[in-house]
Amino acid sequence: MNYPFWYVPFLGSGWVIGIIAIFHVMISQFAVGGGLYLPLAERRAMRLGDKETADAWLKQLARYSKFFLLITGVYGTISGVGIWFAIGLTNPEATSTLIHNFVFGWAIEWVFFLIELTTIAVYYYTWRRIDPKLHLKVGWVYAASSFCTLVIINGILTFMLTPGDTWLSVAGTGHEASKFWNAFFNPTYWPSLALRICVCASLAGIWALVSASRIDGAKQPALKTSLVKWSVRWLLPSFVATPFIFAWYLLMVPSSQRALLSLGIDTIGSGTFSTLTHIALILIVTSATIILVAYYLAYRNPVDFNTAHAVAILLLALIATGAGEYSRELLRKPYVIGNWMYTNGVRVPSAVKIDQEGYLTHSNWVWNGSDLAYSRGEAIYRGECGACHTLNGYRPLVTLLSGRDRTSIENFVTMLHEYKADSPYHHFMPPMVGTRQDVEDLVDFLNAQVNKPAAATVNAAQPALISTQTAQR
Amino acid sequence: MATTTNTNSVSSGLTAKARTSSVYEWIDQRLGLSDLAAFARKKTVPVHAHSFWYYWGGITLFLFMVQCFTGVLLLVYYRPGAEAYESVRQITFVMHFGWLIRSAHSWSANLMLFTILVHMFSVFFMKAYRKPREFGWLSGMVLLVLAAAFGFSGYLLPMDQLSYFATKVGLAIPAAIPGIGPVVANMLRGGTDVTEFTVQRFFALHVVVLPAIFIPLLAFHIWLVQKHGNAVPPSEEAKPVSERRSMPFFPHFFRKDLAMWLVSLNVLALLASVFPWQLGKQFDALAPAPVGIHPEWYFMSPFEMLKMLGAVLPGEIGEIAGLLLFTLGIVLWILIPFYDSRTENGRRARNAHYFGLLAMFLLLATTAIGYWTVK
Repeated sequence: MNYPFWYVPFLGSGWVIGIIAIFHVMISQFAVGGGLYLPLAERRAMRLGDKETADAWLKQLARYSKFFLLITGVYGTISGVGIWFAIGLTNPEATSTLIHNFVFGWAIEWVFFLIELTTIAVYYYTWRRIDPKLHLKVGWVYAASSFCTLVIINGILTFMLTPGDTWLSVAGTGHEASKFWNAFFNPTYWPSLALRICVCASLAGIWALVSASRIDGAKQPALKTSLVKWSVRWLLPSFVATPFIFAWYLLMVPSSQRALLSLGIDTIGSGTFSTLTHIALILIVTSATIILVAYYLAYRNPVDFNTAHAVAILLLALIATGAGEYSRELLRKPYVIGNWMYTNGVRVPSAVKIDQEGYLTHSNWVWNGSDLAYSRGEAIYRGECGACHTLNGYRPLVTLLSGRDRTSIENFVTMLHEYKADSPYHHFMPPMVGTRQDVEDLVDFLNAQVNKPAAATVNAAQPALISTQTAQR
Repeated sequence: MATTTNTNSVSSGLTAKARTSSVYEWIDQRLGLSDLAAFARKKTVPVHAHSFWYYWGGITLFLFMVQCFTGVLLLVYYRPGAEAYESVRQITFVMHFGWLIRSAHSWSANLMLFTILVHMFSVFFMKAYRKPREFGWLSGMVLLVLAAAFGFSGYLLPMDQLSYFATKVGLAIPAAIPGIGPVVANMLRGGTDVTEFTVQRFFALHVVVLPAIFIPLLAFHIWLVQKHGNAVPPSEEAKPVSERRSMPFFPHFFRKDLAMWLVSLNVLALLASVFPWQLGKQFDALAPAPVGIHPEWYFMSPFEMLKMLGAVLPGEIGEIAGLLLFTLGIVLWILIPFYDSRTENGRRARNAHYFGLLAMFLLLATTAIGYWTVK
C-alpha cells in the first residue's frame, strides 16, 4: 500500500466520490447530448419557413445556451475537478494505475475539453453577432469536441470493469501502457458507448424541457408546443434502444460479475448481498417510465407544461443516473479494476505476499501520531474495510456484525481471509489479506466496536498498538 | 400493381376499423360506454395556483391499487397462525422477488397513509368540505380510519418481535376505555394476550373485513368527487367566473394524473429497493420488549399526546381524560363541515382555518417529539 488511507467516518469515502460523480455524470452527459441538441435545433430553426417562428426559436435557443454554458461550463468543470480530488484520496492505488495506463488518453481528453469550453463560450457570446452559418459551425465544433470527450472517458471507465485478457497478461510487468489500445477498446467499450450516447440524448431532451417549461404558454403557445414536443422526442431513442443495448452490455460483462445480479433476487441479507439488484431495479423502473411521464406531462399538454413538471422529470433523470452509476460501480465488485485490483486497493497477485509478510508491513503511510491512539487492528480496518464500510454509518460494520461474539467475528474474518471459492462473499468482497496476527488484530478491533462492554478487557489485554517505528517504515 | 396494393391495404384498414367500431357498438349498447365518455369529457378540473393539490387523491388511489396487487401476491404464500413468521421468512428470503413484493406492499401502505393525510389537509384548507361536499369529507374520514386499521392489522402479520410487542402496546389503548375496553381488546386479541389466534383474527380483518368496507366506501367517495367536481380554494372562488380557468378531466387532467402515478411508482420503487422492509427475529412472548420500541409513525402523534397527558394526570384519570380529549378533538375535526358551512369567508371560516393549522402543528410537533424521545 503505497498511499495513506483516507477514512471518512459515517459517510464512507466511496460516497464522497459518489455524490460528486452522480451530479457530474448528469451534467457531463448533458454537455454531450446538449452539444448535439443546440446545433440541430439551430439548424432546424434556420430551415423553418415561417420567419416569426424561426426568430422565436432562435431567441429561445440563445437563452437556453446561456443556461447550458453555466451548467456545463461552470458546474461540470468544478465537479470534474472534484472527482479528481476525490478518487485520488479515496482510491489512490487505482487512480495511480489508471494514470500510468491512460495518461495519453487523458491528455487527448483535456485537449478536447479545452476546445469544448472555448467553443461553448464563443457559441453563446456570438449569437446574432456573426454570420448565422458560421455560428452554426461553432456549434458543430462544440458538439464534436464534447462527443470526443465521451468517446475517451468511456474507454477508461469500461477498462475498470473489463480490462481484458491482453492487458491483464502484461499487468504488473511495467509494460502496461504498451497495451493501451487493448485496454481502451475493452470488451464493454462499445455497448457502454452506445448506452451513454442514448443517455446523453435523453438528458439533452430533459434539460431542454426544463428550459422550455419557462416559456409562457398563454403568450407563446406555438413556440412552447413546438419546442416541448421536439425536446420530448430526444428521449425516444433511449427508450427504444436501451433494453437491447443493456442486454448487449450484460453479455459482455464477465459471468462472475453478472452473477452479482442474481444474488440479490433471492435474498435481502443485511450486507451488500443484493444492493446491486435493488439499484438495478430502480434503474429499470425509472428508465422505463421516464418517457411516459414526459409523454403525459409534456408531449400531450405542452402549453400547460410548467417548471414543477420539468423538475419532476429532471428528478427522475437524477434517480436514473444515480442508479446507473451506482450499479456500474457495484458490478465491478470485488474489484476496482477487474481481476487486477480489489476495491480496497490490494493488487490480486500481491495477496499471497501480504499473507506471508503482513498487511501493515506493506502499508508505508500508516502513522498514528501517538502510541496509544491507533491500534494495529484499526489500521487494518481502515485500510482493508474502510473503502466500502464505516463503523456506524454507511454499510455499518457494528450493525452488520451485531449479535456476534468474538469467536463468531473471528470465524467470519477467517472466512474472508481463507477466501474459498464457494464462499458467498467471494462474489462481492475482497479477501482479508495479512498474517494470522493481522486477522487477530482486526478481530480484536471489530469485537471492541461491536461488543463494547467486553471490549475494554480485550483491548487492555492485547493493546497491540502500532509503534511510530512501524508506522514510519 | 401499386394501385391494387393500396386499394387492398385501404380496404383491409377500413375493415379493421369497421370491425373495431362494431365491437365497440355492441359493448356500448349493453354497457352505455358513450354516456361514460360523454360524462368524462364534460367534467372539468379547475386550473389555478393550487391545482397541484388535486393530484393527491389520485395518488392515494394508485397506491391502494398497488397494495391490492401486491397483497394478492403475498396472499399466495402467506400462512396465518402458527406458521405466520415462517411464511414471511420464506417470502422474504426464499421466493424470487418476494422481498420486493413485501417491501412494495409495506412501503405503499405507509405512503398511502401519508398521501391520505396530505389529501385531507389540502381538502381542509381549500374548504372542500363545504356544501354540497359534506359526505365527501365524512366518507374520507372513515376511509382514513380504515386505512389506519389496515396498517395496524397488517403490522402484526409477520409475527416478528417488533410487530408482536407493537401490537401488544397498541391494543393496550382500546383496553384502557372504561367498561367496554377490556372486552373489545380481548375480542381483537382472541384472548387475554397476543397469540397466533390474534394473527388469524387480524388476517381476516386485513384481507376480508376491511376491504369489504373500504372498497365500496372508496367507490362512494370517488363518485361524490365526480358528482360535485373539484372544489376551488376561497381565493379562487373570489374571482369572477370569466377569469377562472379549467381543463377537461378527460383526457387532459387524466394524462397528468397518470404521469403523477408514474412518478409515485418511481418513489415507491426507490424506497422498496433501497430500504427493503426488514424482518426481525421470531416473536418470543417471554423475551423483553425490544429497546426503543415505538408505534408506527402514523400512530406516533396520538401515542405521544396520551403519554404527555399521562405525565400531567398520572393514573387512570389521566388515561380517561386523554381518551376523552382525543375523542373530542377527532369529533370536532369530523364535524367541521357543519360548523364552517357558509360559502362566504367570515369568522367561522377563519376559526376553522386556525383549527386546521393547530391540528397540523400538533400532529407534526407530537410526532417529532415522539421520535425525539424514543430510547
